[in-house]
Amino acid sequence: MTKHRKPILEVKNLTTGYGDLVVVRDLSFEVYPGEITVLLGRNGAGKTSSLRALGGLNPLLSGSIRLGDVDLGRVPAAARVRMGLSYVQEGKRVFHKLSVEQNLLLGGYSLPVGRRQIEGEIERIYGLFPILKQKRHDKAGSMSGGQQQMLAIGQALMAQPKVLLLDEPSGGLAPVIVNEVFRTVDQLKDEGLAVLLVEQAVEASLEIADSVTVLDVGHTVFSARTEERDDMLDAVKEAYMGHPTS
Amino acid sequence: MFNNSSANRPLWLIPLAVGVLFLFLPLLGLDYGTSRQVQLSIILALVVSGMNLSLGYAGELALGQVAMYAAGAYAAGLLSIHGQTDLLIQLAAAGLSGLVVGVLTGVPGLRMGSWTLAMTSFFLVLLVPDIISVFKEYTGGRNGLAGINPPTVFGYDLGSTGYYVAMVLVTMAWFAAMRNIVASRMGLALRVLKKSPVLASAMGISVYRMKLMAYALAAIPAGLAGALFANLDLYVSPESIGFGFAVTVLAASVLGGSMSVYGAIAGAGVLQFALNYSSDLQQFSPLIAGVILIVGGVALTGGLAGMGETTVRWLGARLAGAGNDNARASAGASAGTLDHIDGQPLIANDVSKSFGGNQALDGVSLQAMPGAITALIGPNGSGKTTLLNIICGFYRGQSGEISLGGKEMHGLAPDRVARLGVSRTFQTPHIPDQLTVKEVVITGRYTHEQASILGVLFRSPRYRRIVRNDERDAKRVLELVGLAHLESVVATSLPLGQRRLLELARCLISNPGAILLDEVASGLDENEIKVLSRILRELRDKGSTIVLVEHNFQLVTSLADQIFVLAQGRVMSSGTPEHVRADPKVKREYLGVDTGNGDQE
Amino acid sequence: MTLVWGGLALGAIYALVAIGYNIVYLSAKTFNFAHAQLLMLGVFVTYTCLMEWRLPWLLVIVLAAAAVAVVAAIENLVAVRPVKDVHNILVTTLGASTFLDGTVSLIWGNQPLAVSFPLGGNAIDLLGGRVYPIEPILILLVIVIVLADFWISRRFLVGLALRAMSEDPEAAQLRGVNIRAMAFGAFVAAGALAGAAAVFVGPKTFAVSTLGDSLALKGFVALAIGGFGSMPGALVGGAAVGLVEILAARYLGGEYSNPMIFVMLLTVFIIRPAGLFVHSSERTV
Repeated sequence: MTKHRKPILEVKNLTTGYGDLVVVRDLSFEVYPGEITVLLGRNGAGKTSSLRALGGLNPLLSGSIRLGDVDLGRVPAAARVRMGLSYVQEGKRVFHKLSVEQNLLLGGYSLPVGRRQIEGEIERIYGLFPILKQKRHDKAGSMSGGQQQMLAIGQALMAQPKVLLLDEPSGGLAPVIVNEVFRTVDQLKDEGLAVLLVEQAVEASLEIADSVTVLDVGHTVFSARTEERDDMLDAVKEAYMGHPTS
Repeated sequence: MFNNSSANRPLWLIPLAVGVLFLFLPLLGLDYGTSRQVQLSIILALVVSGMNLSLGYAGELALGQVAMYAAGAYAAGLLSIHGQTDLLIQLAAAGLSGLVVGVLTGVPGLRMGSWTLAMTSFFLVLLVPDIISVFKEYTGGRNGLAGINPPTVFGYDLGSTGYYVAMVLVTMAWFAAMRNIVASRMGLALRVLKKSPVLASAMGISVYRMKLMAYALAAIPAGLAGALFANLDLYVSPESIGFGFAVTVLAASVLGGSMSVYGAIAGAGVLQFALNYSSDLQQFSPLIAGVILIVGGVALTGGLAGMGETTVRWLGARLAGAGNDNARASAGASAGTLDHIDGQPLIANDVSKSFGGNQALDGVSLQAMPGAITALIGPNGSGKTTLLNIICGFYRGQSGEISLGGKEMHGLAPDRVARLGVSRTFQTPHIPDQLTVKEVVITGRYTHEQASILGVLFRSPRYRRIVRNDERDAKRVLELVGLAHLESVVATSLPLGQRRLLELARCLISNPGAILLDEVASGLDENEIKVLSRILRELRDKGSTIVLVEHNFQLVTSLADQIFVLAQGRVMSSGTPEHVRADPKVKREYLGVDTGNGDQE
Repeated sequence: MTLVWGGLALGAIYALVAIGYNIVYLSAKTFNFAHAQLLMLGVFVTYTCLMEWRLPWLLVIVLAAAAVAVVAAIENLVAVRPVKDVHNILVTTLGASTFLDGTVSLIWGNQPLAVSFPLGGNAIDLLGGRVYPIEPILILLVIVIVLADFWISRRFLVGLALRAMSEDPEAAQLRGVNIRAMAFGAFVAAGALAGAAAVFVGPKTFAVSTLGDSLALKGFVALAIGGFGSMPGALVGGAAVGLVEILAARYLGGEYSNPMIFVMLLTVFIIRPAGLFVHSSERTV
């Protein structure tokens, strides 16, 4: 059924790395509005590098990235935010020295609107994460890991993205918090946002995934839509464990 | 003659000929103006040469040379006024004075970062006139130091031609010394340092001491130049030793090429003649110096010397033809020639570390034995890298012991840990620029067998023996990792897989008690991983202690004898690969999969 | 007290230079060695506009700010932006400062030129000391600048972006901050600020072509004492340098000023290497 829809983010044969160190080769997938696409893989499989290339932090060595009708190939990172691509890096990289509210304000930096509208937008984020409103004047660095993760997501949402890239939002968080974060992500998807989720927590992310791609050592080893496979978990497990190396 | 390594072995024959030519210049009957410019160029070249050593080779911008120059000039001048006119004694005193100023200012200055050192050294230059004023009973204050007697050698008056010859000889002597320093293992070590202080300390080189040594040595030619200047005019004025002079020195260094030996002479000559020959130009000299610094800093990284070298290499390549691709016979690793490696047990016991409130390591213990490959795996943020950094001395844990071969080393500086026998590789290989494969490997031996600075300068028998050992051992370890046929290739041009093997060879040459490999397989293709695995197994069988810090689970399970799995700062599981692979906790936490099937090869 | 006023006023000028260094440092983690030369250039522009052309001083502030901003922009494009290795910026901005030194002495000569203060040049009594009106005004000016910076960096998006960028440039980029443009803007703004402030500096220092070199170093000492990146630190550091300079000159002799400042600098380095207002943190590999 989704076959007839247009993907909002289209990645074709993406190859990226650092200098002559090629980390990801020929990665292709599509991300649709109102869906969660999950990118799985072990440590070092190239998930984060792929996201960095999508966000504009790593060079695109070959292949193409299209956001809607726009080719992102040489578009700098800052401009991609304005075009509707928000990227939450792993490790809760909020600005520790700024307050929660200042962090959110900054999240609206790329919006072509006035201060008042940005502040209205902040209220929307507070609705999503009430704890942030309570802590609005605290320094971001003083908050717990879970709160920082919510702030990081809230900050990215401030830019009113069409596509949200999330790199391991579950990393280093207690299971309860992880559930809360995942619930929010699910809710955002229902509002029409396209989400690309990179995770190591396989089972939890499969529960909310619409389509799944598994990477290993820079190569795609498995890719499928959830509705096409009843045995998704088994298939992913097989992809994880079954890739032979020397 | 024109092999790839010539870049690091500055020629000596041509410069010697040029020096001799300079010696006979007076016979050509130069007019006073020109010969004076030549003499001032020589003096400037000495100071610039010192700056090249500290800026170009040790990588620290410090304009303190001018203060050392002042120290040398006043030391020589004061000696002369007080009756000691012997040039040799004055030169010795001046060199020593420069050295003292260099050490005194280098000790605090080098502890700070590069910006701070640059500024404090500028400040030092600004202080020179003030200090001269403070001691005006001796120095003549702002009026300058007058009444210097003509120089003598062993009681003979030198006369103007004799003095000129003496100046050239002193300069030739220094440049010979400079050439010997740069073309030695010390020169190699300086390049390592310039590439990365982290790398240098991981190889056992004390960053601070190395920089101090270069900075202090660089003070000597400045002091000598001061003495030559005092005896040239028989008068020293504080006005000639100011900020403007410091900038001229820097501009000459950049123009000639800071990372060169003889570029100093070219740079100094050009600037001296360009700026001072015509007095019309004098007022433009800051503009010219400024432009040189900007253009030089932006574009000409090698300076005039770099351009010369490129030309020579190009010519050399043309003459030699493309005959350098010989001996590509043994591409794979052959059976190594090192018979036995003396591995030591590496033991970490109950190590804890927290950053702020974040407990990165919580009572981690690990044992790595000789003749075994021990792997440390775990997800991002599990504490692997932190543990590696604590073992290597880059961090200090809050508690716990770490020992190699029974020697406790937790809390020691990284260079001490490295000298005790812990050798490591890096996630992205750290290879200094412009060195050949063999030279890179030799840098790994720098602290293993150390040569004194005097040995370096005079090429003592002991130094020569060490160099022979360097060569012999480099051949052995390169054969062991299968890179022997590439020994004279520029190392940074190798593909990633070979650069990783090169790092491994650099570890091996120091005969380390333990080798830590940080993500050694990342970015390698399957063939390269096969080669690497074979070499690592070979090393293990020879008795090496090998610790793999890895992401690649398959590689680890196929290669390691013992695996430690870290999660959230604790050892979650440990044991043989079979044991770890079967551990349900590992599957759940690390692989993120709850699976019933075993792994398959 | 007269001495204290003099020292603080001098310190205010050093603090101005340190603030300029800071703006560039915070935005791009590099130094503009030529910043003091930019201030010096502003002083000379002030001299020409105010003393020769007799323009109204408010207009002179605008003209000096604009002129210096343009020069700063050119410096950035020629000597900072094209440099690949950050270390070389030391060399290229030093080159720019030497070039500006030379340019200034070619145009205006080497003799000190007096710049009169538009709001009065007669000494007055203030808190038990005799001062020229320019002195308390300089002190006030630099305090106002630091407060304004505090306000801008908390209240305005562009200020927040600058702070974010100095904490984590990559993350700032991902929030839509064009870090190249911001770094350029900060560089030019620092120049404009130096130009505007120069109108107040000139009456205290005279317009003289060696001004840049001495301000550069003492401004740096002020910065190092206060701590890199700290604006209040720049204030305190500037005051400390100004006071030590004046007091040493008064009680020990003029030739002791610089050595005493140097001693103070080394002392701070030994006790608190990161400066008084900055906490040092553990290095990561």
